[in-house]
Amino acid sequence: MPRILLNLIVHHLHLSSASKMENLLGLTGKDFTIVAASKAAMRGATILKASDDKTRSLNKNTLMAFSGEAGDTVHFAEFVQANIQLYSMRNDTELGPPAVASFVRGELARSLRSKKPYTVNLLLGGYDPITKKPHLFWLDYLASVAPLPYAAHGYAQYYCLSILDKHHHPDIELEQGLKILRMCTDELQRRLPIDFKGMLVKVIDKDGVREIDWDSSKAVKSA
Amino acid sequence: MLNANSPLASGPSYSFATPPNQTSTNIKQHSFNPYTDNGGSTLGITGDDFAILAGDTRSTSGYNINTRYAPKVFKIGEDDGTGESAHIVLSVVGFAADGNALKERLNAIVKMYRYQHGKPMSVKACAQRLSTILYGKRFFPYYVHAILGGLDEEGKGALYSYDPVGSYEREQCRAAGAAASLIMPFLDNQVNFKNQYIPGSGEGHALEARKATPLPRAEVEQLVRDAFTSAVERHIEVGDGLQMLVVTKNGIEEIYDPLKKD
Amino acid sequence: MSSPFSINGGACVAMVGKDCVAIACDLRLGLQSLTVSNNFPKIFPYGDVYLGLTGLATDVTTVADLFRYKVNMYRLREERQISPQTMANLVSTSLYEKRFGPYFVSPVIAGINHTTGKPFICGFDSIGCIDFAKDFIVSGTASDQLFGTCEGLWEPDMEPEDLFETISQALLNAVDRDALSGWGAYVYVIEKDKVTKRLLKGRQD
Repeated sequence: MPRILLNLIVHHLHLSSASKMENLLGLTGKDFTIVAASKAAMRGATILKASDDKTRSLNKNTLMAFSGEAGDTVHFAEFVQANIQLYSMRNDTELGPPAVASFVRGELARSLRSKKPYTVNLLLGGYDPITKKPHLFWLDYLASVAPLPYAAHGYAQYYCLSILDKHHHPDIELEQGLKILRMCTDELQRRLPIDFKGMLVKVIDKDGVREIDWDSSKAVKSA
Repeated sequence: MLNANSPLASGPSYSFATPPNQTSTNIKQHSFNPYTDNGGSTLGITGDDFAILAGDTRSTSGYNINTRYAPKVFKIGEDDGTGESAHIVLSVVGFAADGNALKERLNAIVKMYRYQHGKPMSVKACAQRLSTILYGKRFFPYYVHAILGGLDEEGKGALYSYDPVGSYEREQCRAAGAAASLIMPFLDNQVNFKNQYIPGSGEGHALEARKATPLPRAEVEQLVRDAFTSAVERHIEVGDGLQMLVVTKNGIEEIYDPLKKD
Repeated sequence: MSSPFSINGGACVAMVGKDCVAIACDLRLGLQSLTVSNNFPKIFPYGDVYLGLTGLATDVTTVADLFRYKVNMYRLREERQISPQTMANLVSTSLYEKRFGPYFVSPVIAGINHTTGKPFICGFDSIGCIDFAKDFIVSGTASDQLFGTCEGLWEPDMEPEDLFETISQALLNAVDRDALSGWGAYVYVIEKDKVTKRLLKGRQD
């Protein structure tokens, strides 16, 4: 069996256990994209940090959230961030979200067939100021990419996609989007056995990237 | 051709051909695999007043053909002594030895039923009994996918399909065995009219699905032939001959058509 | 279970008719049993030639991008469109370059050769062995089911309308019996001077 094939299978099994506890959520609306990431930095069963920022803004109107193997995530994110910023400086123009997604995917796909691939799952949220359309891209560590109206990584996939299936609509306002996101984070708080220390929520729209105050202190009632 | 799911990848399966495993410490380990896959495919379709069970007659072991005529469809409860004719048919595909053992067992039970109760066993009762037999060997199963056919109490065509441990369900049509994955979607389309809609009946949710109605016998027979000639083209374990048993109120009719022998 | 060919799921089929060809794919993208997207097309147009790619999603995108680059370079050098036959050989040699670390894809090609006017389809394994078929080519996790439906429904010399109905029924009924494929479909019917692309809803489960 070719080595790469074994690599893929091994990584697949590897990722399925640890990094599923890291939750990434993203959803688009009429003129914005929301990206949320859990704040706990974990190593095994230990929480090392309760205010981790698993996001990097790549340029004025794109934000990348990441989860996966500890060293890989930040290293890959900052490598991509540096290259996108270099492009902006050289050409005095910003790449649109789909172009950024294509570049990030290309780098991840190249790494997949290298000696030591990055095991990083990504959500790429953006707002295109030219077409005035929101964008959200789902990428896994195999560099599969899918443009989606809403997406998730980790256990959030199992708990939140059904909620988003029911409540999401492409024309929603920011307020409604945050309401749907609240339903998702509440469900995670309700169902997950480990405290993920709340979510860091950021919005990307015509004004760029900004953080939204997200209160997770209120206890969520469960049956 | 390097194919993802070619049999070459997993290798042909024999019951006795498992080689002695040579371990690093030079100890020989022997093993016996009680099951073989004898290939082939079966198929059953019911109509308003009939049921057809069909199967190809090829028997294989790996890439070898054991015989070109090994029936997989049987009459159940036929009595040569009294001349009492059968009204139930059974098809078994998978491990032929288990299939034959199962057929013999069910046959004996259906006959005993008539001797003891003085009336033939209903298909419904036979179907439940077959499930019990299969589940009785839950932890050393008959390695077969069985289909039981006949006429129900109202004289309508009845068909029951089973998994190896006795889960069963009454259906309009069912394909089993090696080429089940090839035949079943074709049957969904041509017997139950799946994915077919009435033209001009509306748009979106208003679009009306074509309703499945029982097909006439001649049409069903032709569908069975088409299904098998298709399967023969693309599956190496299917071929040689097509045996059909047609159950009607007048008894069981047997039809044999040749299939390609390559 | 976790063969690279069946992690993401998907199905593709191409058929020949009378002076026309058709190619169709499903829209699902999944991770094992979890459906991630229901809008992941697997057919990519390169001028007059259409390439269908099933298998590992990352390689579907990589290979599609690779051929966009290669076909664009061909057009710039030759100042003409690539023919389906040339495309077939390009795909074959490109895949064989990766003989010992292949792209986990099963490509399908459909198109009409504008020099001869003849319809052309073919399929490949993941290392570039070409399967020249006169009738139909199938690929993906529903390939067994597609073999059954195509072998049962296809007939020679179909007009474009009949070809559309046949390939659509073959695909829809096949993917309904495969848990890893489905969630809608795209169907391209390619005639000499017209290409029709249709979106089929199909079962949404």
